[in-house]
Amino acid sequence: MSEPHIVRTDTPQFPQPALDGKYVYCIIRLDKSRDFGRVGIGGGQRVYTVHYRDLAAIVSDTPLVIYDPTREHVLAHEFVNETVMREFTVIPMSFGTVFRSEDDVTELLRSTYQAFSDVLDKMQDKIEFGLKVLWEREKVIANLERENDEIRRLKDEISRNTASSTYFARMQLGRLVESALEGVQSRYVADIHEALKPVAVASRSNKVIGDRMILNAAFLVERTQERAFDDKVKDVSRRYEELLTFKYTGPWPPYNFVNIKLKLEKAN
Amino acid sequence: MGLLTKLLFFPIAGPVAGIRWSLGKVQRVVEEELVDDAPVKQELMELQMLLELGDIDDAEYARREAVLMQRLREVREWRERLGMATAGGPVRVAREADDDE
Repeated sequence: MSEPHIVRTDTPQFPQPALDGKYVYCIIRLDKSRDFGRVGIGGGQRVYTVHYRDLAAIVSDTPLVIYDPTREHVLAHEFVNETVMREFTVIPMSFGTVFRSEDDVTELLRSTYQAFSDVLDKMQDKIEFGLKVLWEREKVIANLERENDEIRRLKDEISRNTASSTYFARMQLGRLVESALEGVQSRYVADIHEALKPVAVASRSNKVIGDRMILNAAFLVERTQERAFDDKVKDVSRRYEELLTFKYTGPWPPYNFVNIKLKLEKAN
Repeated sequence: MGLLTKLLFFPIAGPVAGIRWSLGKVQRVVEEELVDDAPVKQELMELQMLLELGDIDDAEYARREAVLMQRLREVREWRERLGMATAGGPVRVAREADDDE
């Protein structure tokens, strides 16, 4: 048995590496073959379908490489899924999933047929939106100082007094501001969820990224509700215009709402 | 006698023991970092966020992304060397899956 040659993306490429592998983007329901054009990962490979019964995997040819999650690669992966999503309900594959042959892809569809079919039914005509909310901490604190009597009183006291007597007052103020901030944050987050709940099927909160973010959520939305969801996001972001920055993205494939554990192993 | 022993040895015994302990800890931390790609991925997400917010430009993003990619590759190599599972690369449906049929 010959060892497959694994070319890494970080090593200088050999001229024309063999494109034996299949990069898989997503799974859809479709029983006739389809070409999505030369938009695939690794320099515009042709994107096409591999079939098993009424399921199709969206693939492009690839050398047997490990794809680094660079922006360029991730955008290529996303672009294909976005293109397919315009017409189909998709089950997205994780970034970088490469099979060694078309037969291996067919085997994936065959062995996971029931789970894929069930999830496709559940996700029929649903799309995902991402919402990240960041706050302007300084502005929120300034707001607190205006609205919270106790904080204002302590601040006044500190600015009136000499250094010696203000140590405990400062500490107390710091603690007060911290806990008030926590309260404000959970109120904002609850408020945003409350506003979007009626127009979403489900939501999921992910870990926040960096220290300015207070919410990192994904929402599953019916395609027919897309406009309504849009409007609600605009409403709620207008309400907090001064204090919060809303990063609203989508539509995405339902990454956060599909959880199929594939039994895959390394093919070395 | 007791006090003298303390005075003579404590300042020495203390820090030495401390250093040995922290070396052990540092080594463990280093090993964990070598084989854990979660912090690198977290940094990558933060970097992406900075770009989206306009805090950094494309060139700065590319420069910092290259550093993170290098670290990801190093983590992957360490995991391979230590016989641990790695993400990426060609896969196939695990053979046990056939048993269900």
